[in-house]
Amino acid sequence: MALRSQVVPALLEHARTSPSAPALLWRGAPVGYGALAAMTRSAAAVVAELPPGPVSVVAEKTPETVALVLGCLAAGRRVLLPAATLPVDTVSGLHDRAGCVAVLAAAADGTSNAARLTTHVVDVHAAPSDHPEPDDADEVAFLLTTSGSTGVPKIVPLTSVAVERFALWADEEFDLGPGRRVLNYAPLNFDLCLLEVWGTLRAGGCVVLADPERATDGVALLDLLVAQDVHVVQAVPLFYELLLAAVPGARVDGVDRVVVTGDAFRPDRLPALRALFPNARVDNVYGCTETNDSFSHELRPGLTEIPIGTPLPGVRALLVREDGTVLHGPGVGELLVTTPFQTPGYLDSPDRFTSHPDGADDLRYFRSGDLVRRTADGSLLLEGRTDFRVKVRGQQVDTLAVEQVLLDHSGVLEAAAVVVPDQRAGNLLHVVVRTDGSVNSLVLRKHCAERLPPAAVPSTLRVSKDPLPRTSTGKVDRKHITTTMELVI
Amino acid sequence: MDHTAVITRYIVDEFVPDIGVDELTADYDLFAGGVIDSLALLRVIDWLGTRFQLSLDDVELSPDNFRTIDDINAFIGTAGAQQ
Repeated sequence: MALRSQVVPALLEHARTSPSAPALLWRGAPVGYGALAAMTRSAAAVVAELPPGPVSVVAEKTPETVALVLGCLAAGRRVLLPAATLPVDTVSGLHDRAGCVAVLAAAADGTSNAARLTTHVVDVHAAPSDHPEPDDADEVAFLLTTSGSTGVPKIVPLTSVAVERFALWADEEFDLGPGRRVLNYAPLNFDLCLLEVWGTLRAGGCVVLADPERATDGVALLDLLVAQDVHVVQAVPLFYELLLAAVPGARVDGVDRVVVTGDAFRPDRLPALRALFPNARVDNVYGCTETNDSFSHELRPGLTEIPIGTPLPGVRALLVREDGTVLHGPGVGELLVTTPFQTPGYLDSPDRFTSHPDGADDLRYFRSGDLVRRTADGSLLLEGRTDFRVKVRGQQVDTLAVEQVLLDHSGVLEAAAVVVPDQRAGNLLHVVVRTDGSVNSLVLRKHCAERLPPAAVPSTLRVSKDPLPRTSTGKVDRKHITTTMELVI
Repeated sequence: MDHTAVITRYIVDEFVPDIGVDELTADYDLFAGGVIDSLALLRVIDWLGTRFQLSLDDVELSPDNFRTIDDINAFIGTAGAQQ
């Protein structure tokens, strides 16, 4: 029998052998494996009554939602997890494209009581979808989405076998089993949950769910780590900056593994991070939704640059020059990567996978779009992008797409989106637009908020009646705009 | 005490500097309107703490308390009264 995700069978087994062992910790109260399994069964019973096809779950972070997702998996359904922060129209577009037969929400009454789990069927579509199955014959478990900075997130199916391989790696690497406590900071729709939530429940550990309402409260986050005796922490650099800013000189002694991921971490912040977690091994992990984690590098003291690191077991990577040939020695090329955890391809968009340029193997390589430098000693360092994608607060944002959304407004004549480094957030998005005088930034901010995910809504939006600066070739001079922005902020 | 005018001036200067203070009503949803987000809220809260000398260690910093200028005004009243 083919390898498939054991998250639900393992959960039920943990519930049988140690029903009172904590599976989740939410707002100070534990939810045992027995209670979580009961909630999962109750959700699965509701889901089983629905017409066949994928279902969408409103990813509000509660124990009930965790149980609902597990219930969908138990019922053999593919689960689409759209970001709770996406504009309403974008979410309904996702439902249509994935062919969802129902939109489900768990009752968030905060009781975490098995008897009280109510699965709300928000919407049932009359006809089951005739949406094509992904090419790969493997059973699909999760339908995650890209961040959708274009306003149209792509759907990333993850097969059951990919989820299982990843969970096994994560448990072996970080020990997510009984007695371990793993922080979940990311929203439930994020790929990071494959480790923090689904991987931990697979292994028998306890997921400490950070309250989204206090997600930017560094003091509360520090309290949570200490009070709940967390061992494993994985988060974007912004999270660590919040902790470091909250209580200068704070120490969290119980954490033994720290993972920084999703965005570039500043090497000069490393000493402070290591002082915050004096007993932890700190790793930088590189990956994306399409391939999941691909590289890891331990952040030892004294690093001045943070390499992408070495490939995880089963991962292969290539650097490919602009002319399409494979770069073997030192130099710069686009990173192509293949992992045991990767998606078979986007559900409904042309995918970014390609075969080996030299035909050296039969693997499918993901074109990351990241420009990477290989040094003489073989280290891989991130240099930039082959396109206009940037990381803003841990999420990929396509600045051209942001400009396009603004240009779609009839009052906007020119738009330039640039990123400027920010100590707290890593990068912030700044936009300058030239208008015909009929619109102001209040109108344009609303226009963006209705069409873009939060990370792609500009931090600053300046309205000008003068033409934007152009280069000698007539292109908008983004470099000049970036420099000007850095001076005024 | 009503701080609406001071808050409006600050929000306009920081986030929508090209508009007049009279264009931003006190019941406008600042989050839905893309004027502030969770990260910008940290700046707003820092400013509130300094400008109104509030001790913000023990208060609930949920975005729902800061959705509109009216909300922020009410928050100052509540946080100030606790001291």
